[in-house]
Amino acid sequence: MKEGLVNFKGVKEGIYIYIKEGDLETIKKELEEKIQQYIELFKGTNFLGIKGENLTEYETKELLEIIREKYNLYVLKDGLPSYLEEDGPFDGIDEGKTKFINTTIRSGQVIEYDGNIVIIGDVNPGALIKAGGNIIILGIMRGVAHAGVGGNPDAIVAAYNLQPTQLRIGNIISRKPDGDISSSEIPEVARVKNGEVIIEPYLPKK
Amino acid sequence: MGKAIVITSGKGGVGKTTATANIGTGLAIMGNKVVVVDTDIGLRNLDVVMGLENRIVYDIVDVVEKTCRLKQGLIRDKRFDGLYLLPAAQTKDKTAVKPEQMLELIKELKEEGFDYIIIDSPAGIERGFQNSIAGADEAFIVTTPEISAVRDADRVIGLLESQGIHNPKLIVNRIRYDMVKRGDMMNVEDIIDILAIDLLGVVPDDEAIVISTNKGEPVVSEEDPLSAKAFRNICNRILGKEVEFLDLNNSEGKLSKLIKLLFSK
Repeated sequence: MKEGLVNFKGVKEGIYIYIKEGDLETIKKELEEKIQQYIELFKGTNFLGIKGENLTEYETKELLEIIREKYNLYVLKDGLPSYLEEDGPFDGIDEGKTKFINTTIRSGQVIEYDGNIVIIGDVNPGALIKAGGNIIILGIMRGVAHAGVGGNPDAIVAAYNLQPTQLRIGNIISRKPDGDISSSEIPEVARVKNGEVIIEPYLPKK
Repeated sequence: MGKAIVITSGKGGVGKTTATANIGTGLAIMGNKVVVVDTDIGLRNLDVVMGLENRIVYDIVDVVEKTCRLKQGLIRDKRFDGLYLLPAAQTKDKTAVKPEQMLELIKELKEEGFDYIIIDSPAGIERGFQNSIAGADEAFIVTTPEISAVRDADRVIGLLESQGIHNPKLIVNRIRYDMVKRGDMMNVEDIIDILAIDLLGVVPDDEAIVISTNKGEPVVSEEDPLSAKAFRNICNRILGKEVEFLDLNNSEGKLSKLIKLLFSK
């Protein structure tokens, strides 16, 4: 089988699909091509699931649906065996992989990345930003931010103007207080202290 | 080559159909060959607002299914030279037309020699919306100064971008200057701040629109109403002219102006 974005890998419980980072449409096309090519081989095998380098939950579900519905192949309900699952929280808070996004994130859009996220633009209400590490926004943050997905409480959310609908850091959820709150003129940073999300003004230490 | 513009909003009731009728009519009055296309299959309105309901024989579904020729489906508006309507079907639903068929239809309309093809989109972001944007080169987003409408507009702008329609333009409809001044209504700057797109025009809340809509005569064809001026300005901006934005501060009625004039002496 030629190496591409989509690779089938065998373990003792069955076969799982390893998907490299890439465009979803290309991934879909390649997945279908490979299944069609080896359809006889795959009949009767147990598919364990999909392990993607950078797939959202929804995208994974969509791909599984193709395997299940279109080609009528058997996918186990239990999902991937635990040793194949993601290996703990992202640990690149101080130094690690980062995704840069150079546009406004609008309602209904989800940015998900297993690393740090930097957004050069605004995040509008109804948008969701999920990062394994820190989230930095060089604009106005009005949506929902989840930093430290996977349970890293050291992650931070910083924005030029921080007015989120909801903030999640690690496993802690906090929301905007009811009623009008004075919006700060200076950038702010949200972090976890004593089990609570606190927002403090960004004051450079001189 | 003609230009296909979709008028959309996400939220219902913000004035997409009114905007389509007025922009279409306005452009025709200014000497362009225009067709307005209603893609709200099953809930057609544009024909009513344009006052052309009783002239419908064939509709958009007949045209894409080739039950009739394109020319038979187009209704010519006798009041305005160069203005045509392609009505939606009322007895079918959104699935009666596929996005590929819309693409083909818009191509045919361009070959027919239309300068502007104005497409009225249904509310929502499902099939009907997908149909309406399929053949569009540009998009105008209509919103009212309400959080819910602005939120939906934001979502639609994102969807348009993902479909390759970039830099949509904004029409803020139904602004009430008195309420904005009191701080009870979002102002245009607040809306642009969130949506981050270019402003095409601001249309004030105006009784004249309600009256003209009920009569089936687009308000833009009248001289005086402020909303008519706002739509004419929008049309001029579409044609590439630089036009100042209306000073909505002067939107008081004639009577109150007269009274002020009398008492100021």
